Amino acid sequence: MRIEEHPILGKTEERKKVTFTYDGKEIEGYEGEPIAAALKAAGVMVHRHTRKGSPRGIFCAIGRCTDCVMVVDGKPNIRTCVTPLSEGMTVQTQHGCK
Amino acid sequence: MEKLQDRFADIGEFIPQQDDDVIVCRCEEITKGEIRKAVHEGIFTIGEMRRYLRNGMGLCQGQTCGKMVKGIMARELGIRPMDLTPATARAPMRPMEMKILANDRSGD
Amino acid sequence: MKRYELIVIGAGPAGLSAAIEAAKVGMEVIVFDENARPGGQLFKQIHKFFGSKEHRAKVRGFKIGEDLLKEAEEAGVTVQLNATVVGLYPEKEVNVRIGDEIKHIKGDSVIIATGASEAVVNFPGWTLPGVIGAGAAQTMMNLHHIQPGKKVLMLGSGNVGLVVSYQLLQAGCEVAALVDAAPKIGGYGVHAAKVSRCGVPFYLSHTIKEVEGTDCVTGVTIAEVDSSFQFIPGTEKHFDVDTVCLAVGLNPMSQLAEMAQCQMEDNPKKAGFVPVADEYGRTSVDGIYVAGDVSGIEEASSAMIEGRIAGISVARDFEYVSEEEFKEKVEGFEAALGSLRQGMFAPENRGKNIEKTEEGIAVSKNLLKKGYLEEEVFTFPGVKKIKGLHPVIECTQNIPCNPCQDACPKGCIKIGEKITSLPDVDENSQCVGCGMCVASCSGQAIFLVNEDTGDGMGTVTLPYEFLPLPKVGDKGTALSRKGEKICEAEVVDIRTSPAYDHTSLLTMRVPSEFVMNARFYTG
Repeated sequence: MRIEEHPILGKTEERKKVTFTYDGKEIEGYEGEPIAAALKAAGVMVHRHTRKGSPRGIFCAIGRCTDCVMVVDGKPNIRTCVTPLSEGMTVQTQHGCK
Repeated sequence: MEKLQDRFADIGEFIPQQDDDVIVCRCEEITKGEIRKAVHEGIFTIGEMRRYLRNGMGLCQGQTCGKMVKGIMARELGIRPMDLTPATARAPMRPMEMKILANDRSGD
Repeated sequence: MKRYELIVIGAGPAGLSAAIEAAKVGMEVIVFDENARPGGQLFKQIHKFFGSKEHRAKVRGFKIGEDLLKEAEEAGVTVQLNATVVGLYPEKEVNVRIGDEIKHIKGDSVIIATGASEAVVNFPGWTLPGVIGAGAAQTMMNLHHIQPGKKVLMLGSGNVGLVVSYQLLQAGCEVAALVDAAPKIGGYGVHAAKVSRCGVPFYLSHTIKEVEGTDCVTGVTIAEVDSSFQFIPGTEKHFDVDTVCLAVGLNPMSQLAEMAQCQMEDNPKKAGFVPVADEYGRTSVDGIYVAGDVSGIEEASSAMIEGRIAGISVARDFEYVSEEEFKEKVEGFEAALGSLRQGMFAPENRGKNIEKTEEGIAVSKNLLKKGYLEEEVFTFPGVKKIKGLHPVIECTQNIPCNPCQDACPKGCIKIGEKITSLPDVDENSQCVGCGMCVASCSGQAIFLVNEDTGDGMGTVTLPYEFLPLPKVGDKGTALSRKGEKICEAEVVDIRTSPAYDHTSLLTMRVPSEFVMNARFYTG
């Protein structure tokens, strides 16, 4: 869930809304936020399935662990926690391949 | 640097443990049991282990599991983690596509 | 090949500080950082820092980050972002990936300030979505304004585990439990106490047995461990949570130093595999320096000073400053660093069991094992029964921090020369109730108390950093240090001020008998 107002950080500033697709579904997020943040806000937990079939999602959130990689605009192994969201992006659950 | 483990030391038999199937290396999906077994097969250094099982060779380059692997191997060998020969640090420190690695500029 | 006098790797607190010092005396400096934003982990730190005025104590981490960036800009430091250093050689040749290219750049000197990465532990289910690092939780909530989960279990009671648990509560998440395999709390007692009073239970000598879930986390089972960290059968406890947060330490990211053939050591006092360096950050390789967490895990405040020392040392070694100028500057930095490295939690005390404070008072075992103080609170110099309004300072461990002393305009609070001394409340001084001490305490350990307002009731003023902010006239419940509901409470005053820096002061009225136990308010 998004935090609208924070006791220390105040109100979250207005950002531009964009639409992207996640496994074919249209989802809204904010321009420039990490893809992973927009997915998390939409309740998506599973970013990929490993070669052995186990589900993975956000783990380190700073681009180190590479667990959150997905297929973005057709390109696999994209670290969604550090890749900024933009209008019209195609984001797909990744299967295997890492 | 040179701390090569005595290859004739008796480390006993491989004894299965309850948590052997727990993942250690998230990227390459290597379990604790696989690492322990490999030690008994004669893999005594971290570098060898990486080449043998591919732990720490995935996208994160062992940043997540490195310390755990070290701990598991040391325990199996009955030595302190700090006495284990470390893996060689070499470029590239971060994973990248071959085409970028090949796009080598002199730095203008 | 492009050449710089100084290449700094990492634009976190240490790297930026180093670059600033070197650039200020005229060196040509470039900083490479692999991230899209500078500042390292500083911008996720929304709590007030400890220390003294010189360390920017009571200033929140992200504000320190903003100021550091401004200073770097003014000093003419160039920060190249999205630039990943993938290779470093003893000849001070740096390979850096920028966009789709690898560039070779040569430095006359290099400062490695790559910081640390989060350590992990594994257990069945630890790869499930919903198991995250504590840093990931901070990134999500404090940078991207997203709740990491609804209900969270925290593993690790070091300062990271404690601070992030509190931040989760501030972000509106529920913290189901704080768990640590160690028999005592690793972080500062004041951090533990502020989490406890919100009602978060601590489970020491416990660790995670298993995380449950098919596609993501739906629950977690913890169990007690014996002194050799083996599970004790029959001690299992289950929590329905959607998130498990790991805060089990940091590892120095020292691979580049190793690659550059710096002499390395596995040093438990530095919490890992680190390059051997002298007091100025010089490694065994001529011209390669280190600063910050990469050379031993400490706080951001220390990393910033270490960075400044490394920066000015490079400048001295390249004759940009005279020996005299160097000495003068470095002595100041070293004094500041020395004062941060004092007290019970000093690097040299890692792993030691400290029984008594510097004042000779028995350290609270309750605080170490349960996360809150009980009756022994009265043995500490900041806690006294005084007539009328007065501060009660529940600061019971020697940590290097003293802003409360200067915060009081009436001189009611005394720490003295030694920064780690426990604050003492003067029995005779005249508290005017300004609340500056309450807001100045980074550990949120100061309360203003009036034990008896004449009608069998009393008041407690406490620091409050949550939303929604209660209103005057609200009737709710007072919570004890343990977070248990103890009595009814009425909010009689709410104060906010820029001088308090987002800490609100909530005053509640409770029956006199509860005044020395009521430490939190819930609506």
